[in-house]
Amino acid sequence: MKVIYILLQLIAITGFYLLGEALQDFFNIPLPGSIIGFLLLFVALLLKIYPLEWIDSGAHFLLAFLSLFFIPATVGIVEYGELFSGKGILLIPIVMASTFLAMAASGWVSQFAAKASAERKERS
Amino acid sequence: MEFTLAAVFFAVLTVAVYLLTNFMYLRYRKTLLNPVLASTAILSSILVLGNIPYDTYMEGGSWIGTFLGPAVVALAIPLYKQKDLLFANLLPIISGIATGVAVGMASGILFTQLFRFSEELILTVLPKSLTTPVAMQVASNLGGIPSLAAVFVMVAGFTGYIIGPVFLKWLHIDSAIGRGIALGTSAHGMGTARAFEYGQQETSMSSVAMTLSAVLGALLGPVAAWLLLL
Repeated sequence: MKVIYILLQLIAITGFYLLGEALQDFFNIPLPGSIIGFLLLFVALLLKIYPLEWIDSGAHFLLAFLSLFFIPATVGIVEYGELFSGKGILLIPIVMASTFLAMAASGWVSQFAAKASAERKERS
Repeated sequence: MEFTLAAVFFAVLTVAVYLLTNFMYLRYRKTLLNPVLASTAILSSILVLGNIPYDTYMEGGSWIGTFLGPAVVALAIPLYKQKDLLFANLLPIISGIATGVAVGMASGILFTQLFRFSEELILTVLPKSLTTPVAMQVASNLGGIPSLAAVFVMVAGFTGYIIGPVFLKWLHIDSAIGRGIALGTSAHGMGTARAFEYGQQETSMSSVAMTLSAVLGALLGPVAAWLLLL
């Protein structure tokens, strides 16, 4: 029985995805169709148009295997071997440095904003 | 999509290698055994050693890749389950993530331009802080190389995972919200795996940050690319 539930829910999730793709295509939205589908599903859940129980197991199944789904793409690295034997190797420290900056910026801003709003609540 | 014996073989091989590496990872818990890293290494070696073109592999590999789109949609469920936490801390969460995504993209563009990399490579590095499926989609929409983008996403993830906690301590980022948002925004799923070691609150914050930064990054990516091309 569980298998049928998951299968039906996978179809529902794919439906949201295809709807996102169709909207993207039709209105030329500069966002990936999958992100539009994600937003549609999130809003549908918030507004209680679509009940969580009708999608929960299917989503759990997909997310459990999420890393499997992008392995075929990462294997594509075989076509770019020579890039990393030259100047391209510099891209690795660049990505690391940029990751630190993003971490520092997001951590500081969110921590500072959280403290500021907590103090505001205390005063009022 | 052609239904050939080779395609079936490569699809089954990919799943088998993934299940094997996943099993090893769960058993030994070593970062370097990360299933994506290990599976990619094994499958790439098979292709190189067997002299098999990537296109032949992808006849079957692309079947597995078709699940990526729906999997991104499924990310709405964990976010929905964290909605109370999200709405209670909306301002610090959104401001932190937006700043982090913007700084990550801007610094990525700046550094790659400094070393005079091609536009294609700049656009490939651009989405590195986003979760892999979204980063690949953003890279391909902008004119970058999706499979290379996935590699940079992994580099960012490992950076956050391995050095994140030391770095956060050094920066005096010591609150649950600061740690979670920092790890999830800069290092997506790998950062979230690390946040798990701090506790429940950090994990929730990090997974919210991972999801929302993917959405914001998908929105900001075209803007950043447009600014780059000015």
